[in-house]
Amino acid sequence: MAGRYKPNINHNSEFELDLAPLLAVMVKLVPVLLVSSAFVQMMIIETELPQVVQQALAKQDINPKVTISMEIDKKQGVNIIVNEAGNEKIKQISMLPKNEFDFEKIHLAIQEIKKLHPEIFKIEFNPSADVSYKDIVKIMDEVRKTKSNDIRFPVKDEKTGQLSNTDYMFPEVIFANTLEG
Amino acid sequence: MRRTRYKPEIKRNQTFALNITSMTDMFTILLVFLLQTYNTSEVQIENVMGLRLPSSNTEKNPVYGVKISLSQDELKLDQTILAHVKNNEFESGSIDNNDSNFIKPLFTALQKINNESTSKDKLGRILFQADQELPYATLRKVMYTASQAGFPNLKLVTVAGN
Repeated sequence: MAGRYKPNINHNSEFELDLAPLLAVMVKLVPVLLVSSAFVQMMIIETELPQVVQQALAKQDINPKVTISMEIDKKQGVNIIVNEAGNEKIKQISMLPKNEFDFEKIHLAIQEIKKLHPEIFKIEFNPSADVSYKDIVKIMDEVRKTKSNDIRFPVKDEKTGQLSNTDYMFPEVIFANTLEG
Repeated sequence: MRRTRYKPEIKRNQTFALNITSMTDMFTILLVFLLQTYNTSEVQIENVMGLRLPSSNTEKNPVYGVKISLSQDELKLDQTILAHVKNNEFESGSIDNNDSNFIKPLFTALQKINNESTSKDKLGRILFQADQELPYATLRKVMYTASQAGFPNLKLVTVAGN
């Protein structure tokens, strides 16, 4: 009786994977991606100008009692003004010795204000004429989101009525003094 | 006795296999890096020569809008130069005599877009690229004129990262 055929398998044998086709694909893909890649990634910051009167008024109508604004001056520093039903509270943050804005203190001050008014997401900016665009953008970054992982602000979902948490503080920035002479 | 020079034994018919494993490794790393930097944004914004954008930690991708750039030297709408800037001031001819914040050529160009444009342009959006060293006084003139021309939604273009 003939025995069943058993192929002779050498378990110690080695083989080389043919990487040439893989390399060929990569050589074609790399130049395509090199051409279409954006090494400098650009983003946008959304702002509103005060001329959108109707929209701005509509938003103010939702919460007319509290407005938060920021006066930014190259000499005086930053004044954060919280107007609560006509009652103004001003928090002043002075400049650092090298005539630089104290971004850390600005962030902490804004964080405290946000804790008191979690329902407000809009802030008005009033920069002086000599404040550089770079500093304005940096301050916008400081007020947009909290840097702390432990701090979250309650926000109510209008559709479901449920409370959720957000790290956003004041993402809506309005340049309030654009129209001033 | 004269010594004979050593001659290596060369087999003319010999073949060899090139080891491409390390090259494949390198290409794989390069491919991953390029895929990471691949831009998926619907709107492409080109860098303007001589203009340094401020960096920001915003996470919003650019949206469609009229592109205005303001460098230390000139104000442009797309590629068209509208006004020249010197020492952070617009040239006197481009500013309205009765209103120091009103840039006449910008207003005319934006109004033209407003009149001729499709629904996309009528959103009143501006993608504003401005040099990071410019003072607010110069930027404000552009903002003011844009809002007067019916473009109140201002999107400040920044470079990603801190």
